[in-house]
Amino acid sequence: MDFWLHVVNMILLFAILGVSLNLLLGYSGLVSMSHAAFFGVGAYAAALTARHLDWPFPVTLLAAIAVTTVLAGGVTFPALRVRGEYLILLTLALQMVLYELMLSWVDLTEGRTGISAIPRPTLFGRALVTPAQFLPLIAACAAVVFAVGYRVGESPFGRVLKAMRDDERAALAIGKSVLRYKVLVFSISGALAAVAAALFAHYQAFINPFSFTLDRSIFLVALVVLGGTANLVGTLVGAIVYVGLPEMLRFLQARQDIVDAIRDFVFGALLVAFMRFRPQGLVPERLGGGARLGTVALPAGADPAAALPARAARADGAPVLVAEGLSKSFGGIRAADDLSLVLPGGKVTALVGPNGAGKTTVFNLLTGFLPPDAGRVVLHDREVTGLPPWRTVGYGLARTFQDVRLFERMTVLDNVVAAIPGQPGERLGPLFLTPRRAAEAERQNRAKALGYLAFVGLADKAGEVASALAFGEQKLVALARLIATEADVLLLDEPASGVDVQWVSRILELIRRVAAAGKTVCIVEHNLEVVTAVADRAYFMEAGRIIAEGRPEDLMADPRLGEIYFGKAHR
Amino acid sequence: MYAAVIAVSAWGVALPLGFAIAALVGCLVGVGTELALYRPLRRVEATQLNIFLASLGLLIAGQSVVLVVFGPQARTLEGFPMRGIELGPVAFTTIEALWLAAAWVLIAALMAWLWLTRHGLAIRAVASNPELAQCVGVERERVFLLVFAVGSALVGLGGTLIALRDTASPTMGVHPVLAAFIAVFLGGIGSIPGAAVGGVLLGLAENMGGLFLPGYWQGVIAFVVLFVVLVVRPSGVLGVRGR
Repeated sequence: MDFWLHVVNMILLFAILGVSLNLLLGYSGLVSMSHAAFFGVGAYAAALTARHLDWPFPVTLLAAIAVTTVLAGGVTFPALRVRGEYLILLTLALQMVLYELMLSWVDLTEGRTGISAIPRPTLFGRALVTPAQFLPLIAACAAVVFAVGYRVGESPFGRVLKAMRDDERAALAIGKSVLRYKVLVFSISGALAAVAAALFAHYQAFINPFSFTLDRSIFLVALVVLGGTANLVGTLVGAIVYVGLPEMLRFLQARQDIVDAIRDFVFGALLVAFMRFRPQGLVPERLGGGARLGTVALPAGADPAAALPARAARADGAPVLVAEGLSKSFGGIRAADDLSLVLPGGKVTALVGPNGAGKTTVFNLLTGFLPPDAGRVVLHDREVTGLPPWRTVGYGLARTFQDVRLFERMTVLDNVVAAIPGQPGERLGPLFLTPRRAAEAERQNRAKALGYLAFVGLADKAGEVASALAFGEQKLVALARLIATEADVLLLDEPASGVDVQWVSRILELIRRVAAAGKTVCIVEHNLEVVTAVADRAYFMEAGRIIAEGRPEDLMADPRLGEIYFGKAHR
Repeated sequence: MYAAVIAVSAWGVALPLGFAIAALVGCLVGVGTELALYRPLRRVEATQLNIFLASLGLLIAGQSVVLVVFGPQARTLEGFPMRGIELGPVAFTTIEALWLAAAWVLIAALMAWLWLTRHGLAIRAVASNPELAQCVGVERERVFLLVFAVGSALVGLGGTLIALRDTASPTMGVHPVLAAFIAVFLGGIGSIPGAAVGGVLLGLAENMGGLFLPGYWQGVIAFVVLFVVLVVRPSGVLGVRGR
């Protein structure tokens, strides 16, 4: 009996670890190859404080949480600033180093002999020794960890995590500080791993470095992936398979090292096979928010245009955004050369010019995706030069992308809700301390987002997964998402390119209505018909410089510009 | 990949032949995994993360196969005359001299191959822009296969070289490969001289650090170097700066 209870306890411990890793791997798309090391550091923190400082159990748990949280959040910080591969590398190296330290820093860790006689916890005056006595404690902790994991993952906070997982640049473009969320989720993950660690140390009463190897880290990744990423039920299933499989193999009566090798082989082969045939895992992520959608309905007869946020509507044509002397070079190429432009409020301005003239670079410079070499950008009399993109969005300047960049594994509605600023549910404090307020705000935001979708005519698609939409529809969702940022200066990068004709007129109509509602709009567009149809003014760019400006019709009529745009006739 | 090394030591063939076999087996295993695993994965449009996870699966499965077939104990590779060499104050062994020579010869050969031959041109074309390379008639899948063949053959050689001084064991692969990763990132991805410089820097830092720090901190040095590079110059020492 005790044997089976022990198996259950181990399953629960690994489920806790799995939840902690799933928040990173599944929800945020961040690979941690050092989870066994986090687990180990937590276990040593608990064991050492219990042995040397005589701290009782719940306090050692807190010590483990503190140490591991700081380690996970702090050490990964530099890698989180750069591309994903570096994170894999850094955590891999971290795993090796921490394991090496556990082995060889004998003064602290007692090396390979490990730390024994870790005191058992006492609860209500009774020491917990047997698996049966431990089970309630472990189960309670696991329940808390699952609740926290669910709250973090399946909430507005988790929606931001998924958004940055699906498309980091797009997450920045809707005003989310990606770095902040990455550090936060790493810290949370470390804290949850420490819960398993402290329980493990007190439960075994003995730890040594061999529980915290790189192989264990790999197996934890396998556990999460096999169970199903971004689904906590899947993680429980994964833990059952991971702990249960060796117990099954026990019946083979083979030598222990052979059993281990078979287990490793089966796990490795399963991982390969799942990646090939079922990358979503045993229990896949729930993509459609269909069930939750029922609580949101558009008020009957409401005018969708009324959904447009009314903040700072200025249709008077006064300059809203001013850029002066912007320059940017890539190697020898001047992508932007002493550029100056003004966007008048409530008007549509177009940037036209041949391919490679630097139009998209201008957008990148204005919104902070690229820092300019020289020049400044002033928005509403506030200098925003070189601010990170998520900050310029907060000040009211947002953009779309030529290649749309929706969050592909989220619903259409979630794509739009995610862009709404100032959500209490995206901050951990309100999420846990005032859940009712967060839930109420969430309800309102979903209704608002549905309003934006109705404005672009896609309310009936709200529950569908974004990647399932046609390209033209995706462009409309991107427009709804842009409006949802509540920015009043909107930069649209080729809003009508690659889209069927019937969609083009619809998109143009929407752009006009957005401008009429007081938004300041700037479009980059190749299609000159689109430009003349929608723009009040146009800048003509060539080779990183603005060479003409005026009404679109006048620019089109200029033979010199036509030659630059279409090439010389005799070529 | 390191199975090749063990096979050589177990069969007791002559050493030069052993190197050839190691390279060949490494090459075959590399080509095999590319054909059986990575190519189908690309065909179903698996994400980078999924491909990485599949390679992890391959690592643990492969390790356990080697373990079952060859047993867990470490094996030595004999047959190379090991003597000490002293040049003034510097002392090293013949094996280390061989390492040095082999490393420089292989690096030079690899660079020449990448920059002077049609195959090298094709590889660089695919690396910088796969779609465009395809347009001008470079077969992407064939280039991948070629890269896997050459890369894995080199791994087989490297493994044999390491096994000459140390021993071959089922888990020997992880540590050198991690060091190689760090060296490549350190030098800058996509630059052979960069990888060489990164390797030299890493080796220097690890061993110089050992002079000043207690032994158990030595393992931390590679990590600290990586950490500093990530903070100061994320594109690597000789890397091409990204846009």
